[in-house]
Amino acid sequence: MSFEIPNPYKGNYKLLIIIPLLLVAVSLFFIPSIKKGVDFKGGTLVTMQSDVPADTQKLAEALEANGFSVSSAKSLQNPKGYEIEVEIERDENLTRTDELKSEFFNTVEEVSRLEADASTANNSSSEAQVKYADAKAKIDVISNGIFAIAGMPQDAEKANSTNALKASVNGAYRKIIDGNSERLSAVLSKEVPYESASFNEVSASLSAKFLEKALNVVMYSTILVCIVVFLIFRSIVPSAAVIVGAVCDIIIALGAMGMFGIPLTLASFAALLMLVGFSLDTDVLLTMRVIKRKEGDARTRAYEAMKTGMTMSMALLLSFICLFILASLTHINTYYEISAVAIAGLVGDLFATWLLNAIIVLNYAEKHGHSGESERGIIASLFSN
Amino acid sequence: MISINELVRGAKSREVIAVFAFTLFACLLMYLDKPMGIPIYIVSILLVGIASVFLHKDSLRVAALLAIVFLSAFSIWSNGVKFGIDFSGGVRIPILLEKSVDSVTMEEMVTTIKTRAASFGLTEVKVRPIGDSEIYVELPQSNPKLVKDVEDILSQQGIYNGIVDGKVAISGDEIYSGSIYRVPSQYLQGADWGVSFTVTQAGASNFAKVAKGKANYPLYMFLDRPQNAIIILNESELMSDAKKQGVPMSKSKALDLATSAMRMAGDDIPVYLEEDLAKNFTLVPRDNMTKAIVNNASPLAEKLAQAGFVVVGKASEDMTPQYVVSPSSPASDAVTTWKAVGLLSSPRLVASVTEGVPNYAYTINGPAQGDTSTAKLLDAQKKERELESLLKGGALPVHITIGSKTIVPAPLGEEFLRLSLIGVAFALVTISLMVAIRYRHLNIVVPMMFISFSEILILLAILGAFTIDLAGMAGILAAIGVSVDAQIVVTDELLKKEEETKKRIDKAFAIITTSVMVAVVAMLPLLLLSGLVEIIGFATSTVLGSLLGLFISRPAYGAIAERMFENS
Repeated sequence: MSFEIPNPYKGNYKLLIIIPLLLVAVSLFFIPSIKKGVDFKGGTLVTMQSDVPADTQKLAEALEANGFSVSSAKSLQNPKGYEIEVEIERDENLTRTDELKSEFFNTVEEVSRLEADASTANNSSSEAQVKYADAKAKIDVISNGIFAIAGMPQDAEKANSTNALKASVNGAYRKIIDGNSERLSAVLSKEVPYESASFNEVSASLSAKFLEKALNVVMYSTILVCIVVFLIFRSIVPSAAVIVGAVCDIIIALGAMGMFGIPLTLASFAALLMLVGFSLDTDVLLTMRVIKRKEGDARTRAYEAMKTGMTMSMALLLSFICLFILASLTHINTYYEISAVAIAGLVGDLFATWLLNAIIVLNYAEKHGHSGESERGIIASLFSN
Repeated sequence: MISINELVRGAKSREVIAVFAFTLFACLLMYLDKPMGIPIYIVSILLVGIASVFLHKDSLRVAALLAIVFLSAFSIWSNGVKFGIDFSGGVRIPILLEKSVDSVTMEEMVTTIKTRAASFGLTEVKVRPIGDSEIYVELPQSNPKLVKDVEDILSQQGIYNGIVDGKVAISGDEIYSGSIYRVPSQYLQGADWGVSFTVTQAGASNFAKVAKGKANYPLYMFLDRPQNAIIILNESELMSDAKKQGVPMSKSKALDLATSAMRMAGDDIPVYLEEDLAKNFTLVPRDNMTKAIVNNASPLAEKLAQAGFVVVGKASEDMTPQYVVSPSSPASDAVTTWKAVGLLSSPRLVASVTEGVPNYAYTINGPAQGDTSTAKLLDAQKKERELESLLKGGALPVHITIGSKTIVPAPLGEEFLRLSLIGVAFALVTISLMVAIRYRHLNIVVPMMFISFSEILILLAILGAFTIDLAGMAGILAAIGVSVDAQIVVTDELLKKEEETKKRIDKAFAIITTSVMVAVVAMLPLLLLSGLVEIIGFATSTVLGSLLGLFISRPAYGAIAERMFENS
């Protein structure tokens, strides 16, 4: 058995760049169709465990009839029977309730303090009274908003103290939240004979928070990675080539998410970040071998690097294929999202590294007749002897 | 090839013997001091790792890897591996804080939730902080009633009551919660801390009436005082605080103090001694809702249940009343705290508030304990915060939202765990096969797979010392691939015969170090800044896997492979 990979860097290798560029173009086309999971979109993901499969069509209809908008319903087999998964879109009333509640609790302490001031001030026309009346009027509007959603009389102004108002707002809030989940449970238990159900509910404010944090992480990661890469190579073209390779890889992975319907969740987001590391792994191997080495000519070095890099990618692919198989047996979403994104990205990395990054680096090395500067990066020299 | 001679020489070197001796010593410590097992494990692998990194010696590198593998295996056996509810089954209720808080506030919130859960008799509840803006409340089993109770505790405020001489002097409804504030130090007039608040008109006149002529009486402040209940404690619980303080107190005096603190017009909580009841059990519940508060392990629990009481079990420390005792004026002795019944503080009334004239603003102040001025200041701040929270009905310092619960049935979780572990084993086997086909040399395949296996073991031990969740398990699987990757770089470099071995190893390490750097840097913001706990397990295993590889297993693999290749 021989596993010689054909050497792509013989002859006019520059044309090879068309393949990854095409792939990137196709991916860009699919990126807009990426579905956001509940983590980033908000909504409720209900996972039920049952002994029998469910009629998802009927279940979705029953939920819609009760005022829930269903974005997906699946029934899958897992080791202990069936897993039924329903994704329900965020109810606008609940979003509004959360906003009002958060507004209420942000102002209620201040109103209570003004109330105390007003009650101890003797003069009825004093400034404290006026201030309290103003603040009370404002918080009454917020409270009435919550009462309205709860279907209760809008009589916040009748509450004789902020403490009493707080208690009734709390009650109204519980009524809305409990009412909603009881209604949902009632429909679900009527349609599916489930043993256990788990609700992953992400409010609008929480999903906004997740999105903000994720964007922050992407920003910091990008900046840090760029700094480190430039520190290692200390020249523009190789550093840029490495980063272009990683960016293309991520674009290809995102394209695959759009094409195969892998949702963007916290788990797939983490997998994407990990891909940056994997992708840079082979990019760094290639660039270091081609630019910082002397043995043979640049093309041979690139080819040797490719053999090593392919073996590495194979090892990684195998471990994620195992995870993917595990995901299809258990239907654990976290496993599925991480492994699917990683597999797509690793395959994309083969193209991005060996057909795009390699072309840029080889072209650069042949033009500049590079024959190795210092063997080690400055950071590397800190660690090994 | 490594000759037997070299092995023996390596094993006899002083450093190697020291590392092995240290390893055995650390294992012994772990075994003897089980509660400290995890910190001991972490510190010892760090020490061995540092020794291996800074003393550049091949024999030591291999020895360090072996030592760490041994320590990890021992830790798995002795400390165990903890799995999240995804694998062990149970219910998780996430609590989202409106804004991020510092670690002191976080600890306080966790304590408040625990205290309130305990006051409802929910002792199996686990409360743990997650990042700086989330708290997980976990129950080991999915009992809908239990889940509902926890949700109620979290969403409802507690009820505050201040009782003077058996009468309610003030209740939470009558305090303007926005008016509660900590008194600035310049107005404290000699006290170490003070909390001030304003009450409503009705509250002021009620307080004036109840407190009239009660100068120097304690104001027993309760949070969620149980209604329609009795309490039964044993002698050692009754006397333990007096013993600890080293003050003489008779049993009957202690019982009197406890009884007087439990008085409230129309709803006294009678206090009984377990020893008395054991001799002569004649208790009859008032109705079928009457609670009997007893120690979890009380031998009377069964009898009480038979008699028709609702038995509420408490931890021993909550059953122990704390006293303030002053030998010079025995009349002012009192119970200060008794967590089992929600008695959290009992300040004394000063003469000026007991004249029968309605007063709107009150201040509670007192001394702080501590040997140094910083310790005293910290204690004062803690007391202020506790009091503030008590007056607000056990309110948490930051507003919270209860997230939706995750329920995993135990058998399903176990099945997930079983399959996941099979998956890890399967991945190890497939990758071994691939490496075997690629290199076709036992000398390469065996050390490579040994190193990967070691890394997985170490990761399991380290992550398992905290908690392995789904994301963490996915990270462990990914780490297998990552671990083999760098060894492929070393092997391919060594297989070239152009230069001396040492140089080739250095070259391989330059590449590995660089790629670990970028991989870790790419993940670091997720790990340190985001607080996205759902995926932190994944980030941790990937970063930890990379670092472990760079510092421990790659050097060891290099040291082994260098010799393996020399003569092959």
